[in-house]
Amino acid sequence: MLELKNLDSGYDFLQVLWGVSFEVESGEFIALIGPNGAGKSTTLRTIAGLIKPMGGDIIFNGKSIKNTPPHLISRMGISYVSEALNLFTDMSVEENLMLGAYAVKERETQLETLDYIFELFPRLEERKDQLAGTMSGGERKMLAIARGMMSNPKLMLVDEPSLGLQPNLTYDVFEALLKLRKQGVTILLVEQNVNATLDITDRAYILEQGKIVMSGPSQEMKANEHVRNAYLGI
Amino acid sequence: MNSTATYDENQTVWQRIVSFLNRLGFSPLGFGLLILVAVMPNFYPFSQEYIIRWLIMGAFLAAQSVAFDFTAGYINIVNFGFAALLGLGAYTSGILANTTPFLLFAPGLNPWLTIWIGALMAGLVGFILGILTLRLRGIFAAVMAWFVGIALMGLVNNLTELTRGPLGMNPVKFLDTPNNLPYFYIILAMMVLIYVTLKLVVGSNIGLAFKAIGQNPDAARASGINPTKYLVFNFTLSAFFAGLLGGFYAHFFGSLTPSTLMHTSKTVEVLAIAYIGGRGSLWGGITIAFPFVFFIEFLRSNLSSLPGLHLVIYGVLMVLIMIYYPAGFSGFYFWATEKVKTLFKKSK
Amino acid sequence: MATKTSERPKISVDLITRMKDNLPVVLVSIFSIILFILIGIKGGPPQIFNIIVTGGMWALLATGLALVFGVMNIPHFAHGESFMVGAYVAYFVFTPLNQFFLSTGSKLLIYSGPFIAIIAAGLVGSVLGIIIEKLVFAPLRHRTKEGWIMNAFLLTVGLSFILTNGTNLVLGPNFRGIPRYFDVKPVEIMGAFIAVDRIVAAGIAIVTIGILWFFLRRTKTGRAIRAVSQDETGAQLVGIDLDFIQTLTFSLATAMAAISGASLLFMFQAYPTVGVTPLYFSWYVVMLVGLGNIAGAIVGGFIVALLQSGTQLFIGLSWQSVVPTIVMILVLILAPSGIFGSEVKGIQEQ
Repeated sequence: MLELKNLDSGYDFLQVLWGVSFEVESGEFIALIGPNGAGKSTTLRTIAGLIKPMGGDIIFNGKSIKNTPPHLISRMGISYVSEALNLFTDMSVEENLMLGAYAVKERETQLETLDYIFELFPRLEERKDQLAGTMSGGERKMLAIARGMMSNPKLMLVDEPSLGLQPNLTYDVFEALLKLRKQGVTILLVEQNVNATLDITDRAYILEQGKIVMSGPSQEMKANEHVRNAYLGI
Repeated sequence: MNSTATYDENQTVWQRIVSFLNRLGFSPLGFGLLILVAVMPNFYPFSQEYIIRWLIMGAFLAAQSVAFDFTAGYINIVNFGFAALLGLGAYTSGILANTTPFLLFAPGLNPWLTIWIGALMAGLVGFILGILTLRLRGIFAAVMAWFVGIALMGLVNNLTELTRGPLGMNPVKFLDTPNNLPYFYIILAMMVLIYVTLKLVVGSNIGLAFKAIGQNPDAARASGINPTKYLVFNFTLSAFFAGLLGGFYAHFFGSLTPSTLMHTSKTVEVLAIAYIGGRGSLWGGITIAFPFVFFIEFLRSNLSSLPGLHLVIYGVLMVLIMIYYPAGFSGFYFWATEKVKTLFKKSK
Repeated sequence: MATKTSERPKISVDLITRMKDNLPVVLVSIFSIILFILIGIKGGPPQIFNIIVTGGMWALLATGLALVFGVMNIPHFAHGESFMVGAYVAYFVFTPLNQFFLSTGSKLLIYSGPFIAIIAAGLVGSVLGIIIEKLVFAPLRHRTKEGWIMNAFLLTVGLSFILTNGTNLVLGPNFRGIPRYFDVKPVEIMGAFIAVDRIVAAGIAIVTIGILWFFLRRTKTGRAIRAVSQDETGAQLVGIDLDFIQTLTFSLATAMAAISGASLLFMFQAYPTVGVTPLYFSWYVVMLVGLGNIAGAIVGGFIVALLQSGTQLFIGLSWQSVVPTIVMILVLILAPSGIFGSEVKGIQEQ
């Protein structure tokens, strides 16, 4: 479904990614892990169209999207839940969600999806008229993920959802992702919490200093010595 | 042996001259052009009265753009009330030099004196303006200056006993002569004075402080630079010179009205020159002002059926430069001279 | 290149958005009420109605300005020229049309003339807005990273210069005006005779603002506009086309200003610099209430109109250009983010 070919990317004068290549098949749940500053967020942002690649290509369902602007990428079915969340803080939960479905044509579909989201996230339904900016960190993350789901995406890019969250909320977030996965949504997850991530994902790629250094099935990665030393603190 | 020694000596003398000129803000080319412009009006066809008048207007606009760029190009604040400060200086000087009974009082002081009082007055208002904009940055500072300018113009309009308001007043002229040439030398001297003074300030530590504050006020403060005194100093000095130029205007043209002198659109004209010339260069505006005035006056006198065409061209040029070549003429000049230098090096 | 989220003033359709403290609002409210009462006593219903008409005009203009600030992050200096364009369009549409309708003698046609002219002005305004946005702002947006606000501001300054002088060039400096839109007797309201033209103008302002309000609050596109002003990146991520929204916003703002200029043709007339005063006063409103605050702009329009009226009644007509300005200078000193505005951090930087 998604393929990165020798992707070079970065900011202005600072190149962060060097020849990154990997694949995500339809229906997979893939993890992208690595140390801080490795370029994981940069990878997602480049796929989402917020950063223009310096070299290489990004192929989505057979089509190159390296020059596609972010709003069109979103409309193509790629939903990016950023680390910064990018919520509309002066609008209510419901308004945020409805905006998540901005590109969806039929109002009925929008409302159906909204109902479904509220089922999945009852906490959000409770607070549906509350301003997004006044919610707690965990609730905002939920909202960001929920908003990303409102467009019925084919591929979701989720950037460090557990960052700064208490463990029980992290659990909720991962549960939500698994629910998504059951629905058939393909997910590319960037995470710091390597242990939990490797438990729920199918495969993992390790990104260090802008290059893919390792990849394989998650359970294998969990048993791998380098991974255990560097990321699992064992 | 002897010939080498003499050769070195000449080099040194020339280099000494060049570095002296550089300190004053002149490249050899620039200084040469200045001399040329100063001498030109003594010879035909430049000695015709209307050409000298154009030269005067060119120098006047050039001087304004230098004072304006001192604020806009260095501490990064657009003084949108600049024209009003100029008008303040003009009116102050005009009123104090006044001998007619039409105004509230007629002190009849010497215009050569009153222009400096006008400059001080404008400097004082500039000082206040600097303080007012201390906490504001960027657009807010520009808006504050703008509002102050509007208020000043409105005040001048309304204090009719002092200024005759929209009817305008007619200050006495500097000299009795109908010739324009002496006035040209006055304004040229003023222009050089303003340019050299500001260039010296900018070349000193004060100038470094200006740039630091202009780029990043917080970082400047952290480095121990107190933005307050530099900001206020900059405004005051710029306003002082604006007032001085206003004094010149008053006693050269001999006719003042608030709306032709102090309106925001007049600030925009100066702003356009400063930007097209290249912000932060000080000399860019001078280089642009003269050909500009000539071009525009030429258009105005030859295409009188199209009034205001020159202003439209002004505006379009400014917009184009801002979008496509924000470095302005001075930026272009540096780029071009660099290109020439590298070509030169390559051919060696 | 998207500007940083924290830099732009967000549009708010709520009156008070995360205020720092209530004091400015309370002070201004008390002052306004006192002023209102004083004006009512000295000037009576005619003055009150004056304030309604003027207030509606400033509210309409300031709302457009607030939109441009909040969505496009542009301090729009050429807003008055949109007003001017509206006035001219109304003049050139109404004058011949009115002649023709008068000749037919049909009351229906005659009374619809002004509305046709005003709507035409709105349409021309919206098209002009689209052209300007695509021609001038879009290229700048794609080229600038640093100092967007000041650059955009100066660009609008240049634009204003071009429009004013261009109009002077093409149409001449003469005033084009009409004595009145509706040839009917003034209506009596509370003992004062008010011209129908002014009632219609006030009504148009109120209706237009109402439509805008509804549009922003309840429609998908309106919500998208608010979204762009709150988080540009977030808006892109949900599939909103930024270029489209920017063009739409600017088009709306220009159209509203044009409608204002058109509806007031009988009062202001049409000439190249007619937009100067509307520009100043719409800026006063926006500075008073806080950049990007739409609800505030509506209220602020009336407050500024109060101030104008008070100056006129108690100090003198010609001081109308000085006293409000001085008040605004005080506001800038004491409450630069505006009385209703929230802390707008980034605007303080270049």
